[in-house]
Amino acid sequence: MTERTSPIIQLDQVTVAFQDVLVLDEVSLSVPPGSFLALLGPNGAGKTTLLKVILGLVRPTAGTVRVFGRQPWDLDGERSRIGYVPQVLSVDLNFPVRAAEAVLMGRYGRIGLLHRPALGDRAAADRAMERVGITDLASRPIARLSGGQRQRVFLARALANEPDLLLLDEPTTGVDPAAGESLYELLRQLHQSGMTILVVSHDVGVVASYVDGVACLNRRLVAHGRPAEVLGSEELAQMYGCDAMFFHHGRVPHLVVEKDG
Amino acid sequence: MTEILGYAFMQRALIAGALIGAVCAVIGVYVVLKGLAFIGAGIAHASFGGVALGFMLGVNPLLTAVCFCLATAWGIGLVSRKAQVREDTAIGVFFASTMALGILFIGLMQGYQVDLFGYLFGSILAVSEQDVGITLGLGALVLVIVVLLFKELLFVTFDAEMAQVTGVPAGKLYFLLMSLIALTVVLSIKVVGIVLVSALIVTPAAAASQLTEDFRRMMALAVGIGIGSAVGGLLLSYALNTASGATIVLLATLAFFGAAWLSPRRRVGRKRGTA
Repeated sequence: MTERTSPIIQLDQVTVAFQDVLVLDEVSLSVPPGSFLALLGPNGAGKTTLLKVILGLVRPTAGTVRVFGRQPWDLDGERSRIGYVPQVLSVDLNFPVRAAEAVLMGRYGRIGLLHRPALGDRAAADRAMERVGITDLASRPIARLSGGQRQRVFLARALANEPDLLLLDEPTTGVDPAAGESLYELLRQLHQSGMTILVVSHDVGVVASYVDGVACLNRRLVAHGRPAEVLGSEELAQMYGCDAMFFHHGRVPHLVVEKDG
Repeated sequence: MTEILGYAFMQRALIAGALIGAVCAVIGVYVVLKGLAFIGAGIAHASFGGVALGFMLGVNPLLTAVCFCLATAWGIGLVSRKAQVREDTAIGVFFASTMALGILFIGLMQGYQVDLFGYLFGSILAVSEQDVGITLGLGALVLVIVVLLFKELLFVTFDAEMAQVTGVPAGKLYFLLMSLIALTVVLSIKVVGIVLVSALIVTPAAAASQLTEDFRRMMALAVGIGIGSAVGGLLLSYALNTASGATIVLLATLAFFGAAWLSPRRRVGRKRGTA
């Protein structure tokens, strides 16, 4: 870690306990700008909680968090530099809202109370939809979207603020494998355009071929490094089972078609 | 039928009823989409304590009911957020205790026969000029707040966590929404009754949700169904000499079944999570 590239996310000995249950145990993690990092771990490993700590939704019981150099619950203007794609199942998928409106919501916080969305806000939402390829779905109610399309709507909502940091929580849940691949392809393009991306997943096999860093979490940070190093390591297989998952997924044949980007 | 429109009490009731139908429907859209129906029922029952207190103190029961309902709404919100208590448990506790307080207050006023029946089940005859004033004032307040915070309330209802992440004050808006439910209950109880007011909040919005997948259209439809049920129910209750609240709510229920029958959303297997 050098001084000239100060990390976008900096967690130092972060511990989170709900009542008596330890969810995160002294997790230290530093994400420099331009990373494409996968946070892997089994269910109940604290992955979503870690995201919520970064987002300022959960305050650590101990330890310090800095996002863009500030405490995440005190970000003010920096807040719109973070794009967040929550788990799809966290909302009512039959909610009567059209794709374009759901995307525009991404800017509501920035627009502020008592103001209507301006032309610039609508233009930003349109650009975000174009970027993820859902312009033709703008007037479609979200209840009538496929899993992959819906995920793109939520991604566009996060991109509507033109963020520097993108956080995604299990983005391929409820998405068929082909749509999942193309979603990661899209994330790779966003990464290449300079965005820092942190994606939470339990789907090791797919993620590993796209990201440039992997962190394995099981309440504690078990390993952190480049995909090949982390996913092959002996200690990891013992401590956590990331490896086992990798091979399990490895047996499922899937084809990655690379587009020229 | 037209001559009844000449009666001052009927004019008052119809004005109040139309506004109540509209306000209940607007708030009902949030209640239905956010799954707050039980909270609505809890707050409505809390108003019984407030009404009884008003009778005991000799002030307009609607004014004491406002305080009671707001306190209950905030109490439920606080207890379920701060203490480790599930929301429905918190509602269960408040719901029963505020009813019990009401019964206690009535017991303390021995020998005084009040028209509690009107408050419990709604009565068009009981709507005074002052009640219409309170209804109009509170109704306008609720509608103005909804218009001013329309986009935030929509966002918080759809995805409160995301709203908070992007800097929308989701926590405060939750308490505001609870307060709006409380005000809506109070302004409705004279016409619809304590027992039935939560049905008038939920039913028109539930009917509208069967007919559209667009938020604004859902709200417009709910308002139409709400006003139609309230005005139609009042006229019917006069003609049939039935309790106004029950007539209004049954009319709204008919609209709900009609909407469910007509619904384009009666589709195949549209459960959450279908890819």
